[in-house]
Amino acid sequence: MTLTLSRRRLLEGAITGLLGGMSSGCSQPGSGRSVVVVGAGLSGLNAALILERWGYEVRVIEAKARVGGRLWTLDHMPGSPEGGGNIMGANYGRVFHMAHELNVPLRTPPRTLPADYFIGDQRIARNSWATSSANPLPEAWRTIPPDRLLGKLNITNPLLGTRAWHDPVLMAGDQSAATGLRALDFPDAAIELIGCNNSYGNNLSETSLMTLYRIMGEFARLSGPALSVKEATEGNMRLPEAMAMNLTQPVRKGEPVIAIHQSASLVTVTVESGRTLEADAVVLALPLPALRQIEVTLPSSQQALLENIDYHKVVQLHCIVEEPFWESSGWSGSWWTDGLLGRVFTRPILGTTRHNMTVWINGDDCDALNSLDDATCIETLTQALWKLMPSARDVTSVGQLVRWSTDPYAGGAWALWRPGQAATAHEAIRTPAGRLFFAGEHTAEAYRGMEAAMESGERAALEVMRLLA
Amino acid sequence: MRPSVYLAYLSMAVTILIGNCVQANTLSGEALYDAACGACHSLGTSTDHRIGPPLGTLLNRQAGAIQGYRYSEALSNSGWTWTLPTLLAWLSDPDAAMPNNAMNYVNHLTATETQLLGEWLLQQP
Repeated sequence: MTLTLSRRRLLEGAITGLLGGMSSGCSQPGSGRSVVVVGAGLSGLNAALILERWGYEVRVIEAKARVGGRLWTLDHMPGSPEGGGNIMGANYGRVFHMAHELNVPLRTPPRTLPADYFIGDQRIARNSWATSSANPLPEAWRTIPPDRLLGKLNITNPLLGTRAWHDPVLMAGDQSAATGLRALDFPDAAIELIGCNNSYGNNLSETSLMTLYRIMGEFARLSGPALSVKEATEGNMRLPEAMAMNLTQPVRKGEPVIAIHQSASLVTVTVESGRTLEADAVVLALPLPALRQIEVTLPSSQQALLENIDYHKVVQLHCIVEEPFWESSGWSGSWWTDGLLGRVFTRPILGTTRHNMTVWINGDDCDALNSLDDATCIETLTQALWKLMPSARDVTSVGQLVRWSTDPYAGGAWALWRPGQAATAHEAIRTPAGRLFFAGEHTAEAYRGMEAAMESGERAALEVMRLLA
Repeated sequence: MRPSVYLAYLSMAVTILIGNCVQANTLSGEALYDAACGACHSLGTSTDHRIGPPLGTLLNRQAGAIQGYRYSEALSNSGWTWTLPTLLAWLSDPDAAMPNNAMNYVNHLTATETQLLGEWLLQQP
């Protein structure tokens, strides 16, 4: 039965393609071909839009009740803070173009208040960092604030090109950040501070030094004065929403995929309700922890990677501050801490006197918080907040706890590469497996974040078109 | 329909298809441009909201010549002229062709696709 069906489909496809070729100069390679995209984040939606433009019948399936994936604008809170991806980098060309095409307005983000420091149990005003007795850095390093210590890596940065960060030759010398920073004569106190709020690994022993070089190199490249980061004026989720609205077929939301089976000519996707969809190809545009939950046969090397690529832990507590209480205290409303609270980012809600305050904890420091239920986690964080900023208590309310690691359809904030891992894993994890194609920020080469998702959607769409042209 | 007849039709259709349309499993330059370049580059000669410079009238144009576009120093000072060989070198591996350029891009095209794309681009107004 399957064989007959596949022959018929092939014949129909060939004839359709022939007719299409006669009438349009072969400009519609996708005529008669169907693609299922699993995941309605930026990567899946970008792949879907490209494929639709070239005549493919595309259906996008999303497990959550919303599109956007790891973009999540907290629309129920004043100021609509971002629970997920918050920054559109100054060189995010694909993101900016998509926003322009779909009339999603962008703006330069309101300025986050500069942070003061809370080290041990001592507050340090940012202007006093270099001279404070609580600054743990040795003499030659004392002028560097904790959040800029990693920038020193650019002195020795060996990465000269976009692809170099997973170059196997350079990767042969990769090591953990804990070891590598020490070998580069970073003092222990500096390494400890870097480890407190490290966004690029869950701890410095498992953070790739080459990954840090990559990220510091990116920041250096973006330091030109004419460049500006952006955000969507009405929330970053407006972008994937607009992308979804521009698809011919609406995204099927709230339909987790549970199994994918492919034959030589067809892929069958089974969703939780038991319904199945058939397609000529499937784009798996979802984070690896979500993919792990789907029954799908992959090459053994890819299957092993699926289990071994780690994701970054992030816990956020989003609060609303009614009045700028810090103004009378002399301290800032933003903090960089080496303790439970991680970092506290506070920025104005434009046109009001209110502020959004986000407590942001990275890496293994999230473990203890993730073991708590929501109410206890919120209580733990707010008690620490009131201790740090007693005057915040009467004017601050909690709006949303965000824990990416415990989200079954995310499993973390972004993919991490362990020391040496990216040399081979990066290419292997995105290599097409028969009629299965892979997208998502973890599969991108040139960019990270939202632009990485867009970049990966382009590549996956090209691969599908190449197979099904 | 008997399987043998069915397969004969199928074979004929595929033969005609390939004979009439050389891009069976090969994408057109236009499709390659759309999927791999169009989000960051327009055609024509005017800069727009896109992050990269416009790519129209590229053939024999000096590199870094579009007025109002902020090129990298590497490209501006390269002395390059866009021809098929220079364009293919650039598209294949921008970092190798011109270190310190500003195009943060990885080419995922095959050599054949890169050639097709390059030839198509050089014909665009």
